[in-house]
Amino acid sequence: MPQITVTTRSGEKHVLEAAVNQTLMEVIRDSSIDGMDAICGGCCSCATCHIYVDPDFVDQLPPVSEDEEILLDGSNHRKPEVSRLSCQIRVSDSLNGLVLQIAPED
Amino acid sequence: MTNFATADFFTDTSLIENPFPYFEYLRSQGPIARLPHRNVLAVTGYAEALEILNDPQTFSSANAATGPIPDLPFEPEGDDITEQLNAHRDEMIATGLVVAKDGKEHANHRSLMMNLFTPTRLKSNEEYMWTLADTLLDSFVDRGHCDLIAEYATPFATLVIADLLGIPENDRITFCEKLGPPPGAVGGEVDYMDAQVLGMSFLFEYFGQYLAERREQSKGDILSQFAQAKFPDGSTPSVDDLVWISAFLFGAGQDTTARLLGACLRVFCENPELQKQVRNDRSLIPAFIDEVVRYEGPVKCASRLAVKTTTVAGVEIKAGTTISLLYGACNRDPREFEAPTEIRLNRPNARKHLGFGRGVHTCAGMPLAKAEVTASLNRILDRMTDIKLSEEHHGKPGNQRFTYEPIYTLRALKNLFIEFTSVR
Ligand code: HEM
Ligand code: FES
Repeated sequence: MPQITVTTRSGEKHVLEAAVNQTLMEVIRDSSIDGMDAICGGCCSCATCHIYVDPDFVDQLPPVSEDEEILLDGSNHRKPEVSRLSCQIRVSDSLNGLVLQIAPED
Repeated sequence: MTNFATADFFTDTSLIENPFPYFEYLRSQGPIARLPHRNVLAVTGYAEALEILNDPQTFSSANAATGPIPDLPFEPEGDDITEQLNAHRDEMIATGLVVAKDGKEHANHRSLMMNLFTPTRLKSNEEYMWTLADTLLDSFVDRGHCDLIAEYATPFATLVIADLLGIPENDRITFCEKLGPPPGAVGGEVDYMDAQVLGMSFLFEYFGQYLAERREQSKGDILSQFAQAKFPDGSTPSVDDLVWISAFLFGAGQDTTARLLGACLRVFCENPELQKQVRNDRSLIPAFIDEVVRYEGPVKCASRLAVKTTTVAGVEIKAGTTISLLYGACNRDPREFEAPTEIRLNRPNARKHLGFGRGVHTCAGMPLAKAEVTASLNRILDRMTDIKLSEEHHGKPGNQRFTYEPIYTLRALKNLFIEFTSVR
């Protein structure tokens, strides 16, 4: 199983086992770490699943859709290139070793 | 007066019009309280509900929409009933619905609904909603009074989802007539729920045909999207899977959304200052809607089945126990929401209520419901001023009465008679 390293808002680091085809939001939610609210449950509608991905992995990720763009644009904590919605990224083997950080709450 | 200590939440009609004093009684027993009947633990605590919602391995959704009625089709044995449940799942009511699925199968079904009501889709649907709102309002505004539920909210919600799915116009009315009310009737439940499931079966024929047509040729609607869809692992859903999902989307979103609009108008009528404030600043509408969902949300109770013996907040929960998540009570938990019975448009945690559930089964229609209510409130405020409750139907201020559907799952105004001045 691919592994991903997540830094929580309080700065704790966790290594999580991520099942292929799950979204990153689901991986974080299903773990017991203090993650994020994911208020819309992955429907690309709330932006509470905002993360920063390690720049080294940006190229491996699916492109940002128009909807994701609209939501990220509404966040006060958006950072160029590395901001993503974790519910819009499905785990694949090529994401093994991914490092990400949970963005601050809006 | 109802004796709260012995009341049966699932059959007692005296708890329908105003369940909140009962919820506060339960809260006084602790955030997770044992009910005297049906092997149920009722959750009124926000944090405790979240803990349960975030542990779907321990708390199955098999009974999410039905709760403790009817009884389980098996006698739970031991501290892990996962296998027993799996063996008997098909004997339970409505377990084909996405809301009642667990694990991988749920994840598969859910994946098809993830990007249905995104900002761009809702934007492109906005004009349809505004036009529909006006068409419905045109039919009664000049009269200066209406039953908001029957004359506006119900047809509005039905037509919006029918249009998005792509149900042909001729069939829409037939569907509305045949569908009937949702599960959870208080009193005489078993017959009723069988009827409910039978009531849905006619949809299979229609939806099966729509989907077959769309596998041949896309029509740009949600049913076409389904007809072409794949599960995340690349496999193709069966037509049966797709029919269950589409029929559920069609059914799930109507009543709840219509009743939310009713609740919004009730709150407006009871708080004229608030009505004025939102009328003058429409950017407050989203916060207002979240507050109404928190304070008077349409989903009063969703359930889970403990499949493993466990402990939450110091309370032992035996495998086989029904957990009734009283969202209406959790959303008024004073440990989470300061002054919970006040509508505050500036709560920092306003969006965190559980009115749309949370976790793996979070409502997939939330963005649509919010968009529908936003469009409706805008047009209602544009076209009506001085919106008040009808004294003839609801009584004099200070002594007003409301009729809610006798259902334990939903908080659903049966009607809302309002009076207003029509704006030309
Ligand atoms: C104000 C309106 C609505 C409210 C309050 C509401 C509330 C809810 C709640 C509380 C749940 C979770 C039940 C649980 O925890 O077991 C849920 C699930 C669901 N809702 Fe809604 N809902 C609304 C409108 C809609 C609409 C418009 C649609 C679709 C068009 C919809 C589709 C669904 C679906 C598909 C699920 C199941 C999700 C799953 O099991 O993964 N809902 N809803
Ligand atoms: S969970 Fe809401 S946008 Fe990702």
